[in-house]
This record gives sequence, C-alpha cells and structure tokens, in this order.
Amino acid sequence: MKLPISWLAEYIDISDLSVQELADRITFAGIEIEGIEQVGPCFDNIVVAEVRECVDHPNSDHLHVTKVWDGENEYQVVCGAPNCRAGLITPLARIGAIVPEGKFEIKKGKLRGVESFGMLCSARELMLSGDHDGIMELDPSLKPGTPLSSLYGSSETVFDVEITWNRPDCLSIIGIAREFAAILGRPLKLPEVDFPVVEAKAADLCNVKIENSVNCPNYTARVLPHVERLPSPEFMRKRLELCGQRSIDVVVDVSNYVMLECGQPLHTFDYECVKDHTIIVRNAAEGEKIKTLDDVERTLDPAMLLITDPAGPLAVAGVMGGEGSQIRENTNSVLLESASFYAPSIKYTATKLELRTESSHRFERGVDPFLTDWASRRACHLLAKYANATVAEGVVSVDTRPAEPMRVVLRHARVNAVIGMEIPVEQQVGILTSLAFEIESQTPEATTFKVPSYRVDVDCEADLIEEIARMNGLDALPDVLPATTIVPTADDSAIRAASLCRRTLCQLGFTEIMNYSFTAPAILDAFQPSTADSRIVLPNPVSADHSVMRDSLIPQMLDIMSYNNSHGTQTASLFEMGRVFYKDAKGAYTEEDRVCVGLMGYAGRSATDCVRPVESGEAILWLKGALESLAYRLHTPPMTMKATDIEGFDKGCAAVIIIAGRPAGVIGLINSDVRKKRRIMSPLVIAELKRSVLLTNAFKVVNAKDVPMFPATTRDIALISGAGVTHEQLVQVMKKAGPAELTGITLFDIFKDKKLNGRTSLAYSLEFRSPERTLKDDEVNAALDKIKAALKAKLQVEIRGE
Amino acid sequence: MTIDELTQIKATALAELAAAKTPDEVEALRIKYLGAKNGLLPALMKQLKDVPPADKPQMGKELNALRTAVTDALQAAKDASSSAGEAVEPFDFSLPGNWTKAGAMHPVSSVIEETTRIFAQLGFTVADGPDMETEFNNFDALNTAKHHPSRDERDTFWLADGNLLRTQTSPVQIRAMLATKPPVRIINPGRCYRRDTTDATHAANFHQIEGLYVDVKPVSLADLKSTLAHFAREMMGPNVKVRFRPHFFPFTEPSVEVDFSCHLCHGKGCRVCKQSGWIEIAGAGIVDTRVFKHIGYPEDCYGFAFGMGVERIAMIKHGITDLRHLYTNDLRYLKQFV
Repeated sequence: MKLPISWLAEYIDISDLSVQELADRITFAGIEIEGIEQVGPCFDNIVVAEVRECVDHPNSDHLHVTKVWDGENEYQVVCGAPNCRAGLITPLARIGAIVPEGKFEIKKGKLRGVESFGMLCSARELMLSGDHDGIMELDPSLKPGTPLSSLYGSSETVFDVEITWNRPDCLSIIGIAREFAAILGRPLKLPEVDFPVVEAKAADLCNVKIENSVNCPNYTARVLPHVERLPSPEFMRKRLELCGQRSIDVVVDVSNYVMLECGQPLHTFDYECVKDHTIIVRNAAEGEKIKTLDDVERTLDPAMLLITDPAGPLAVAGVMGGEGSQIRENTNSVLLESASFYAPSIKYTATKLELRTESSHRFERGVDPFLTDWASRRACHLLAKYANATVAEGVVSVDTRPAEPMRVVLRHARVNAVIGMEIPVEQQVGILTSLAFEIESQTPEATTFKVPSYRVDVDCEADLIEEIARMNGLDALPDVLPATTIVPTADDSAIRAASLCRRTLCQLGFTEIMNYSFTAPAILDAFQPSTADSRIVLPNPVSADHSVMRDSLIPQMLDIMSYNNSHGTQTASLFEMGRVFYKDAKGAYTEEDRVCVGLMGYAGRSATDCVRPVESGEAILWLKGALESLAYRLHTPPMTMKATDIEGFDKGCAAVIIIAGRPAGVIGLINSDVRKKRRIMSPLVIAELKRSVLLTNAFKVVNAKDVPMFPATTRDIALISGAGVTHEQLVQVMKKAGPAELTGITLFDIFKDKKLNGRTSLAYSLEFRSPERTLKDDEVNAALDKIKAALKAKLQVEIRGE
Repeated sequence: MTIDELTQIKATALAELAAAKTPDEVEALRIKYLGAKNGLLPALMKQLKDVPPADKPQMGKELNALRTAVTDALQAAKDASSSAGEAVEPFDFSLPGNWTKAGAMHPVSSVIEETTRIFAQLGFTVADGPDMETEFNNFDALNTAKHHPSRDERDTFWLADGNLLRTQTSPVQIRAMLATKPPVRIINPGRCYRRDTTDATHAANFHQIEGLYVDVKPVSLADLKSTLAHFAREMMGPNVKVRFRPHFFPFTEPSVEVDFSCHLCHGKGCRVCKQSGWIEIAGAGIVDTRVFKHIGYPEDCYGFAFGMGVERIAMIKHGITDLRHLYTNDLRYLKQFV
C-alpha cells in the first residue's frame, strides 16, 4: 500500500521525525515499510541565488567564474551556461544538494584549476522542464536564499507499506496514523465529517432491503439530491495520484479518497438510475448476469451477493459496480452506499469472478463494520465542500451488526511466560489502552479488554500478547539458551539412514542432482510411455513443462545426463534422492522415496585409459559395483539382479534388483535409440531403488567375530562355460558340491573370444578353511575334484587343463 | 673335518659376505662357498662319508646348519648389493592419479544436513512427512482462515483427489503433535510447492526447514530468539546476530520475521544484504493456541515454531546469484560444492 507522508501528517504530528525514523519505528512495531520512494524532484539545499560577479574562466573559452550570493554567504561557482551574467537571479544547488536530473550529489570541485562550491542549474537539471539552453532566469524580485521548494513544491516521500493479512485496519492512512499514535503516544486527529443538510429526508427518497443479513450486516444509504461533477481539488488529485489512482472528477474521486483515507469502500450510484429508488441486497440467481464497470459481462452464481434494484443487478456487492447505474456525464444526484460485507463472501466472489479491486481487497480481509456511517458522512462533507452537493437529511440504514464488542481476558503472568521477560502489569495494560483496547474489568491476575471494532484480527489472549510483544519491542528479548527439557527422541533413523546413503554415494564419486517433483509428460514418455495412466496430473499446473508428477527418477536423470552431455560434460556419475508419485492399483495417490544412480562415459575408468570406447557390459558392471559398495556400506540385505526385459532399457540389458527376496528396483542400459536421439554416444546406465528397502539395515550393530586361527588353502579352477550359463549358476553349483570348509569363491578372470564360439572362459579361486584345524592337501584336492565333477555334470562346463 | 673347522668356516663366510658390496663380489663368494664344482660346502658334504659313524649325525646337523646360514647370508648380501648398486627408473609423480574422485552433495542437501546437525545439538529430532498432504494438515489445523488467500488455486497446487501439494513443511509439525503428547521437539526439512513463477529467487518447487518445540512448561519468545541465535552463529559464523521484526503468520502469535546480521559485511552493508546489514532468514513465533485446539492439545501448552527457506540459505551462504542454478544440475556448477 502506498502511504504519502504528507497525507499521514494530516492525522498525527510527525514533524520532528525523519523519514528513516518513521520507517524504522513502524517496521519494528510490525508494519513493514518495504520501500521509500521520492515522487517528484527534491530541492533540498537548492535555493534562489544572485550572481554578483561573472568573469571568464582563465583556462577555458566557455566557462565563467562567478561569485554567487545565497542571502547569507558568497560562493565561488564555475558555470558554463551562455546566459550566465552578473545580476542574474538563478537557482543554486549548494554543496550536499542532489541534482534531480541524474541524482548526483554536489561536492566541492575544481574545474580546469578553479575551485567551485556549487552548481547553477538549468530547468532540465531541476526536472522542471526540458529547457537546457542555459541556467534558469528567475523572477528578479525573488529574495536570495528562498528555498526552491517554496516556488516549485517539494518532492513527496511515499512509503510502500506491507500490510499483513491480519491487519486490514491498517489498509488506510488513518489506520496507519492510529498505529503511529500508539507508538509515539500522540493524539490522532480525525478529519471533519460535518455538512449542512437540506429539508428532504433520505428516508423519503430511498428504500433499502437486505435479504441476506449474514453477508451484509449493515447497509447505509445517503441521498445527495444535487451534485456537480467538478474537477477535484489539487490536494485530492495529488494524493490519489501518489496512491496510484487516476483522478476523474470530484464525485467519483471522493469515494476513492475516503476509502484510502479510512479504509471503508464506498459506492456512488446515479440516483435516477436506481429503479424505484430502492436498493435490495440479495444473492444472485443462478446464471444471472451483470455488466461490470470494466465492460465485461459476468455470469453469477447464488453464492454471490448483489446490490440490486427491483429491475435487476446494480453492482457486485463489495467488488465492483455495474454499468447501468454508474455516475455518468449528466448525473446530478447520487445515492451513496456505505456498507459492511462478510469477508469470506466477498473473497469467494472476487476469486470466482477473478476480479480484484481496491474494494474487494479490503472487504475480503475485513473492514471495521462500525465504520460505515462515519465514512458516509466524511464523503458527504467532501462532496458538499467540493462538488457543491446538497445532502438529504438522515440516513437509511439496515443494521444487524452485533451490538456487543468482543471481549478478551489477558492473564498477566502468561504474557511474561510467553514473551520470556518481565513486563510490569501497568506497562502491559498501558500498551493495550494506547491501542484503544478498553479496560472492562480488572483483577491483580488478569484484565478483561473490549476490543475496538476495527481490530477484526483480535479474538483471543494470544492476540493481545502479540500486541504487547511488538509494542514493547523485540530487541529487548534476552539471548540466553533455555534450560533444556529432555524430550524423548523420536525415531528418525530412516532420515539419518538417508543422510548416510547420500554421503556414501558422494564418497563413491557420485554428484547429487535435484529435480522438480513435477515435469513435462514428454520427459516421462521418453522413458516409459506405458505408465501414463497411473501418473498424477496436476489440475492447475504453472506450465505444461511442470504439469505431471514424476513417477520415476530415471526420466529426469536421463534428461540431466543429456543436458550435461550437450554442455561439454560427456562423463558423469550422478545421483538423486527424491520422491516419486503415482496412482496405485486401486487409484490411490501414493508417494515413495527412491534413489537413482546413473553413469555416463568413462566414469569407471582410470584417468589414463580413456581412448578405447566404453563397452556396455563394462558400464553395467561399474554401476553394479557402485551399488554393491553402497549396499555393503549400508549393510543392505543380500542384493541380486535378475535379468528381465524392462520398458525404456535395451533388450537383454536390464534387470530387476532384488533385495532380501523382494523386488527393490531396476538397473539397465537406457534404450540406445532414446539415448542416441539425445546424442549421448556412450552407453548410459541408470539404476533406481526404493529407499526404504536399501536402508533397512543401515544402523545394524556389528557383532564382532575373531580373525580365523588357521590358514586357508586356495585352489584355482579354470573352465569354459557354454552360452547362457551365468556366473551365479556356476557359483551355486560349486557351493552345493563343496564342503562346509569352502569359504570363498572369487572370479578373477573372464575371457571371451571368437575361437570359443560364444562360450566363456572363466577362472575362479576357491578358498578352503576350517575354523578348527589346518586342512590337509588330500582332503582339499578331493573336495576340488567333487566340485569339478559337479560343474561338468550339472552345467556341462569344460575344465581347462584336464 | 672337525666341529671347530666348521665354526671357523662359518665365521669367515659370514664376514666376507657382510663385506661384499657389489653383485659381482657376492657372486664370487657364492661360487667360493656353494659352487657345484669347487665350492667349499659341497666339498665338505662329500667328506661326510669319511666321518666315523658315531660322529656322523652330529656332523651332518652342523653341516646343514652351516649351509643354511651361508645361503641366508648370501641372499641378504645379494638383496643389499642389487638395491644399492642398480639404478631404478625414476617415477613421474606428476602423472594423474588413479582413483575415483569424490562427488559433491547438492547445496540444498548440505544446508539441510548442516541445519539438522546444529538443531540436533539442541535436542531436536528430525521428522518427515509426505509431499501430498490433506487440507486439514496444511491449512485447517494451522489456523489458516477459510478465505485466506494462500488457499487459492492461484497459490496452491490442489490435486484431483482433494489433497494438495504441501505449501509449507508445517503439516509435518501437525503430524508430530497428533502422534505424540508434549513435549515435542522436532526439526523437519522437506520439499514444498507454491504456484510461483520461476525467477532468480522463486521456484514452484522449493525446500523449507522448520522447527517446533512444544512443552507443558513455559516456552517463550526469548527462548526462540536464543535458539535461533545459536543456529545463526553455528551456520553463518560466530559473530552473526539475530533480530526479530513483528509479523503475521496464521499459526503463530506473536509472529516475527527473523533477520541475521550479514555474515559478509558484518552489518556494514553490502550487495548480499542490500546495504541494510541484515538478511531476512526465517519466519517464527509462538505457536498459536488455536493450533493446539485444532489438534486436541491442552490450550495452556507453550511452544515456538520457526521456518526458513533452504534455497535462500544456500544462496546466501554460497553467494549463489540465481536460484535456478540449483535446479539446472550442470555438473560443472555442482562440482564446486564438493
């Protein structure tokens, strides 16, 4: 909200406070000054002066050296204007002045070796006109020393005030003045509301009926049988402009002016356009239409409140008037509305119609219900004064407002407990009475206050404590760490495990990325178009690019890999820990935490081995290795990968990750076509896991085992296995055929060759160890033979060297 | 051949081997003592058959011991001479090393981790809740008036099932209070959503971190201020100060906005604090008794709550100029935060 200081000064004495002091005082009382604006040129330190002497500058062909008199002192000023001459009366910007054009400060200077103590100004430099042919030639009768502001007016300081949602009573100049009155302990000066009346009585000239008194507890109508559409007085025009409103004429302007002044929106109808001079406040009929002042025809619904006459709608109550009854060229009589509307009703209507006005802005937050009559009288006072208006006697008012004010009890001990410092009772009470809370009754422990009607935000003790806290000042609060209560710790191990997972992934070389929870359908479709039906689509997205909730972290990982690839980063190891959202089988909206890990380029190679292309198998094993490292660190239960064809991955190169027998995620090579379309030339391998499964054991307590007492014996087996035989199968057979003393099976070489015709050569090192004794060669050899025999029989492998 | 002779031979051999410097000298000694043709020890071995049978076991043992001693000494001399004499090719230590570089944590995560660490010192437990929330948890229980503008479709992402994407992390506090009796002390980081247009300081998807302390004994504004002052010093530096300005939030009363003195210019005024010396960091206040009423707590409980924007803190802490950099996920940018 715009707050011109000069307007504020009309209601409260602030002459002794600087602009910054004013801003600070009210900001720290809870009404934030967000900006301070200077409107119009500022003439501080710019005065009328007389040029007493003018000689040519010794080192210049156009500069003059002058002696200038400002009524008190004579200054030497260097000036380049062609019209500069002795005897001239002209504006002088003294040292410290800010020249309005360009906003630069005048300092003591030296021009071509001659000192200068100010500047003589052109009209353009002072932003008074476009004239820059020379310095201004002022009326020779002006006295040197006269401030320029007394000739051309001063600039206006306008505060940009942030009014929080709970303080609609401050959405006016008087509202803010009231705050200052309390802060400064000074009286509030209210403007005049008196006016002469004519013989006619309002009650004879109009009728008011309210059909919905919940949404309209009070409606007042005054009739002005004669008004003249004169231009508004200068002060009114200027103040409206400073507040961002355009002046039309005094009849239209007064209702805006009074609203800005006191916060009560008013509406003026052309008296002759109100059929039967009867106002009916009622709900709209379904589909009823009104053309509002902004020239838009609007369709209404029965939850909206209308101001009507017997012929139809005149205005959308509290929001905007209708075209039919507006003030027009030939309007010479007016019906003035000042009413109270129920905030949620106006909020509903303004939202539904997408129609926000100064009026709805105030009503939907809450206007003092007891302000209607005062505001109406204030408008009549101004119209009588500036629009030659006559005012009919009396007011037609339909009133169902609660007669009793709100009462709130304040327990003084609670105030000190909540604020955390001792504030004496007298001080507590004093603060509240300065804010116009009225004492109703008092005991040593508590005081009951009547709440002023404009404080629509106050209805409980906490509200009063807040008033005391802010007015007492928050800087006074002591900074001593509280004596801590021991609070039983809730189980946050899942969150700590996630943190461990994040740190481990970083240590493993992965950099964390973070994507929005919503994305473009095309991003998801690029990976798994078949999930479209189970996705959660936002009914009111900000943009189509952010219109659907992600149901997997993989599509954005793919997108970010592509982004980096096209920005010169061809090798990347990235991870994201985030949530995905989807409709489950029953259609219920579900969310789940996941971890996504991706590798692109030479991520797993050593620094000096980045020429030969990355093979897909190699890439998969890097990522698998990273996941195994992660699972190892997190004590994840045994993890296996079961090859399965999965949408979005290359056929034959995807697998379901199984942890403790349950599917926990997927891993695979992103479909080559998809990847190549994004110009990623090396294999791209991505895995995604459910966070909860990965982290189930993260804080497992280790049960220490002793180091083995007896040495192990190792034997190597080299074999050639047929196509389709997996490492896991080989290991299973060896385990099953081996004795309990077979304690380790390590694959240490793998080799494929054309000569092998699709078969694979593998070499395993087997470790045998007993916890009780040193094994004998014979028994190990016998076990080895048994294992070899089983491999040959069960998987038809060829044992090399036999 | 006598035992004495063998002892003498052993002493001489070990002395000679100890003195040998070059591989050639060692090799000459090997031939002298162990050479197959004329070596001293093989010759002695041959003489063993002439020893009287009674002395044979004893003499055989001594000979073996001599042989072992000489062999070991020879090996030691060999090792010593080769490492002393031969030139090894010098290694180029300027070559790039061979180990995977550590990755970087996202600045948003770092701020969350650091903040939860600091509040854990003060006895706060980390809490979490879903992104898709009920209207009750996100608005009603937090005392947000039915016609408060934040409920608008313009500001909130409503979902087709009647729930919404939470606009703040405060519903986690409601969940915590619904789940346990006071005292409750939690710190709850999380992702929030508002229909903001993305620009240098706003995003429709952002993170908040909030704290809540509710007790049956007095918890005051002063306690809140000193708690946040501790956080300010830990997070931004030992000289950072905290300032409260009165404000309004539906779920706290009194409500304050919290400024930290600028950690860069120490209050003198700079680009980051927009010349004011202070940076707005958090919103906070005393939990409104109406919130207690909504969730069924006794109304004479006391509590404070605070909340802050994670991205904003990351930006201030690291001098990040545009919030969008945090969601571009350019590895060149993210790597800096390792």
